[in-house]
Amino acid sequence: MSKLAITFADELRARSDDDLAALFKLRPDLVTPVPNDFTALAARATSTPSLVRALDSLNLWHYQIIEAACVLAEPFKKSEIVSITSQESNFALDYLWQMGLLYKEGNNFRTPVNLKLLIGDEPIGLGPELGSKVDFSKLKDVPKSSAEVLSKLIWGPPRGQISNIKKPGTAIGWLLENNILVALDSNTVALPREYAIKLRGDKVHKELSSKPIKLTGKTVTQKQADLAAIANISTILRWCEEFLHNLSDEPPTALRTGGIGVRELKRIAEHLGVEENCVGFIAELCYLAGLVVIDPDDQILPTSSFDIWLSKPSEERWYSLVVLWLDTSRVSGLIGRGPDKNIAPLGPELDRAGASLIKRTTLKILFENLEVSPEIPSIKEIVKWWNPQRFNGDFVDWSLREAEWLGITGQGALSTFGQNLLLSKEELGIESALPNPVDHILIQADNSAVAPGPLTAEISSEMGTIADIESRGGATVYRFSEASIRRGLDHGKTGDQIKTFLTKTSKTPMPQPLEYLITDVAKRHGKLRVGSAHAYIRCEDEGLIQQILHDKKCEHLRLRRIAPQVLATDFELPEVITELREYGYLPAAENASGILLSQPNLRRAKSRPKPPRIIAEFSAPKESVIASAVKTIRAGERSRKVEPIVPGTSSNETLALINQYINNQQTIAISYADNNGGVINRIIEPISISLGTLTAKDEASGEITQFRIPRINGVAPAFTISQNKADLDL
Amino acid sequence: MSDGPLIVQSDKTLLLDIDHVLSDECRRAIAAFAELEKSPEHIHTYRLTPLGLWNARASGHDAEQVIDVLIKYSRYAVPHSLLVDIAETMSRYGRLRLEAHPVHGLILVSNDAAVLKEVTRGKKVAPMLGLQLDDETIVVHPGQRGFLKQALLKLGWPAEDFAGYVDGEHHEIALNQDGWKIRKYQELAAEGFWHGGSGVVVLPCGAGKTIVGAAAMAHAKATTLILVTNTVAARQWREELLKRTDLNADDIGEYSGAKKEIRPVTIATYQVMTTRKKGVYAHLDLFDAIDWGLIIYDEVHLLPAPIFRFTADIQSRRRLGLTATLVREDGMEGEVFSLIGPKRFDVPWKEIEAQGYIAPADCVEVRITLTDAERLNYATAEQEDRYRFCATSQTKKDVAIALAKQHANDQVLVIGQYLDQLDQLSNELGVPVIKGDTPIKERERLFALFRSGEIKCLVVSKVANFSIDLPEATIAIQVSGTFGSRQEEAQRLGRILRPKADGRGARFYSLVARDTVDQDFAQNRQRFLAEQGYAYRIIDADEVLNKN
Repeated sequence: MSKLAITFADELRARSDDDLAALFKLRPDLVTPVPNDFTALAARATSTPSLVRALDSLNLWHYQIIEAACVLAEPFKKSEIVSITSQESNFALDYLWQMGLLYKEGNNFRTPVNLKLLIGDEPIGLGPELGSKVDFSKLKDVPKSSAEVLSKLIWGPPRGQISNIKKPGTAIGWLLENNILVALDSNTVALPREYAIKLRGDKVHKELSSKPIKLTGKTVTQKQADLAAIANISTILRWCEEFLHNLSDEPPTALRTGGIGVRELKRIAEHLGVEENCVGFIAELCYLAGLVVIDPDDQILPTSSFDIWLSKPSEERWYSLVVLWLDTSRVSGLIGRGPDKNIAPLGPELDRAGASLIKRTTLKILFENLEVSPEIPSIKEIVKWWNPQRFNGDFVDWSLREAEWLGITGQGALSTFGQNLLLSKEELGIESALPNPVDHILIQADNSAVAPGPLTAEISSEMGTIADIESRGGATVYRFSEASIRRGLDHGKTGDQIKTFLTKTSKTPMPQPLEYLITDVAKRHGKLRVGSAHAYIRCEDEGLIQQILHDKKCEHLRLRRIAPQVLATDFELPEVITELREYGYLPAAENASGILLSQPNLRRAKSRPKPPRIIAEFSAPKESVIASAVKTIRAGERSRKVEPIVPGTSSNETLALINQYINNQQTIAISYADNNGGVINRIIEPISISLGTLTAKDEASGEITQFRIPRINGVAPAFTISQNKADLDL
Repeated sequence: MSDGPLIVQSDKTLLLDIDHVLSDECRRAIAAFAELEKSPEHIHTYRLTPLGLWNARASGHDAEQVIDVLIKYSRYAVPHSLLVDIAETMSRYGRLRLEAHPVHGLILVSNDAAVLKEVTRGKKVAPMLGLQLDDETIVVHPGQRGFLKQALLKLGWPAEDFAGYVDGEHHEIALNQDGWKIRKYQELAAEGFWHGGSGVVVLPCGAGKTIVGAAAMAHAKATTLILVTNTVAARQWREELLKRTDLNADDIGEYSGAKKEIRPVTIATYQVMTTRKKGVYAHLDLFDAIDWGLIIYDEVHLLPAPIFRFTADIQSRRRLGLTATLVREDGMEGEVFSLIGPKRFDVPWKEIEAQGYIAPADCVEVRITLTDAERLNYATAEQEDRYRFCATSQTKKDVAIALAKQHANDQVLVIGQYLDQLDQLSNELGVPVIKGDTPIKERERLFALFRSGEIKCLVVSKVANFSIDLPEATIAIQVSGTFGSRQEEAQRLGRILRPKADGRGARFYSLVARDTVDQDFAQNRQRFLAEQGYAYRIIDADEVLNKN
């Protein structure tokens, strides 16, 4: 070879703009932010996080090819890869090159530094290399017992434990004698890579998967799926609404570590009539959308966004939840898990890298297999093919479960709405598929009312204040009681207003007992008036005053009769009201001029919405961004060429190259930052590296000098310098 | 999306819009697996329960049929999870079977070894089981059939009972339809029971439950033990059986405080069965006195605890429970179902009324305003005395008397809880009173006089709550009751629901003191009837008083 290895940065520099654009599209993290020049680009592309991300994005087929590439000695030819894998690997190599996981040296390929480290010492379960020429002829003579030992090591792990290397059994002894096994230490033997490949039939993988398996499952017609999905959509919207209302009614206190406690979760689950894991999911969903927040005083409350959300049409409400669910890294399936089974919704422990990737892949597979309700093992295997590195079976289970709850799927198959969502369509088609809202109720003699369908928002909120909900679903069953009517009156309505509303809204005549109930409560409501500050109780009805004064339960309020119709107390107003209500009275608060104060019951957080940060995958950048990135890097490169005598290398490359030159005992040129910050080029003979310092003989002074590795900006073989100088006509 | 009559709720209730054209068809279809919970005027509520679904399986319906019905009649898309849940619940039925074994007696069998393992590890179940014969068979200790079934049900693995029923000693019984005819619903109820083996029939008061019992006996043609609430009821049963069947007087025995006869058909009172002598239930042997082929529990909602326990021991005998109001304030409805058997027949009261078999009733709540003095006294009364105070107030008594006088030409019952109040009313109205200490003979004499119309008005205590047949009573005035008991309210209305000879409607007055606990209790009491579609009308006491 006339030249030494060219660097990855050089190779990138040589790529066409189109190829660079393709690279950035496949690995968006390389241009976030845009690097200054190719050296920086190569550094980033070979950094561990970026490589891990790139490897994680590979499907099983591409990953297998990369593994095979790591087995071969570098540089290697295309044909070598093909021979140890299969003919189909041709295309895969192009793709991997495009991704910057391979780079070219002439017609041959190399892997960027660090890649082999990430793949591991024993790729595909292959042992250490012998390095020397190997004589395979002995393999023909392996005795039967030794062959059995070999068969256990062929497909890895390549190491085996024995009790004492000095006294191996006959089977192992024979193999050691013939160098088919090598001893690693006194207890460990290993099958060398060359033999293993030979024994694998000159291939490296037991099974190559160039394509995913075909999805199996039950057929579900699109209509069935859509029907089921729309039921799920209306249910999840109702759940969220109900969950948030419940928080407003009885705000739970957050755990010290943040999040909702198990007991609260159980309570809400009971209230909603769903499983706890489902409540956890609902809580997370609302949290993502900023509908709920943990207030500074640790109360978990709906935010003001909730009110805005409520006023939106169903489709928008659904979209606002689902679109965040698609990208979130928070995994609500983990709730209740963990070492102490205490991972809490809204808590800090739910983030998992790769969750959204698995979710997206799962949905992608459903999208490619419409009208199929997949069998779980089958879809898991396909997800695993697409994301062998990030695969997590639980994530698939949870993604499917949550997609069903959300109505993205119905009966397991992707619904039309789910498809529209994945295609980012403007109209999802939910609004027209949901049942039409009804604008009436049916009141019955047992003081219940049925809304035979989803109520219009206005009527629903009105009903919510004057009646309790008894049953939910397609319809809503309300029950009127003294307490519910009182609540309505507390909201500032009068008895007549309630009656008028019900008469107008009900298709059936109002039963007389209900009319009486409203009149009675309205008549009694506010009969008692409680003043502020040190409160007073006054009532025109002296009998009632007498009753309260004699009520033993009220004794601790220390009531004083200050007039025939007025009682006073030293307790604060809210306390007095609560206590009196508890004892079955119906007091109302009034202000100084005797005007009734209505008490809205809706509590909202004071904080602004603080939804959790979305830790998602890098999304593919727009064409324009890529184009400008290419331009920027090229420009940076030109400005660097002012002093380009030694090409810049990344610290990883620097280290790798110097090690290589030490081994080859070659003279090299380095560009070195001196103590004053100036950069000078030195020609040196490298001797050794230790503790971040390179010891070398300086050609100019002839002395042994020490160079700090972090200060070395670039390394090149000495002869290239003169060439570069010539190129630049210096 | 269809425009069906049914709305499926997420809490597993089904709302049936009865004004819909398909409502009848739908009602018939869902009755097989859902339980009627309430039936007010417009929307009836049914509930899907595991028990209901398992009963549907027992009578040959599979999950697919149930799901088809729901989807067919549902107005809105049914949540998939609910359908899955139904299928799962139903698939649990029949994995365990109780069978008779020639050597070991009763055995528990399952093809699913895992399920068998799971239930045998249950703390409650394990002691009832004996030797494990093989992977799929375990011997059941004798006498544990009822308890085991109950325990398995609680674990969610109901056993299908193939062990069968003993036929009992044969005794020829047939209906004697001379001058009357069994009604369609009575026949359906008896058949439903017979087909199911054991169970409960729910029919409104006055709808002829005795005849359902007689029809069941005619099916069984075997010796029968009938358990009733009191002696008067026992005698009524006897008369009714003599009239409706070919049994003669010698065939029927009475086993009560007064008499201890054991005959092929024996009528016993709950009271005598639960009498203890030296801490021992002296009369429970009656259950084994004859090889009974059928046991009938009248007013099964009142079943006392010892009878519950004993009933568990006699699971191989057919059991029929009869009631109008299967609501217990103690929440023991579930025990009734698991020991007597599931609900085999239930029909809305208003439907029977529409067919003309019970009199239409007008329920009126009379609101009474206490005088200021009374209110003051009420306000200062101790908590535990408050109900008694407002329920027995002077004002209330005046209104009750005014009402009774207005209905001087009707047959009137004045019903109350507190004896001194009843005595006062009896004195002021000049009519007899029947209380717990009234001898049976005297009771029967007075009831007979009332039936014949010689006495127009009777004041009665809660002894007349149940089973007393007074066909011509048209007016009931309730002055006080057992606090908030729903079934008492319904049973009292039941006293006046027998269809009248002239087709008149009945009227039920409930006197309630305004702004007191009386009003709160009244609201609870009325709930059962309101759910059956009886809308209360409220009038003010002044209206009554001004009329006089």
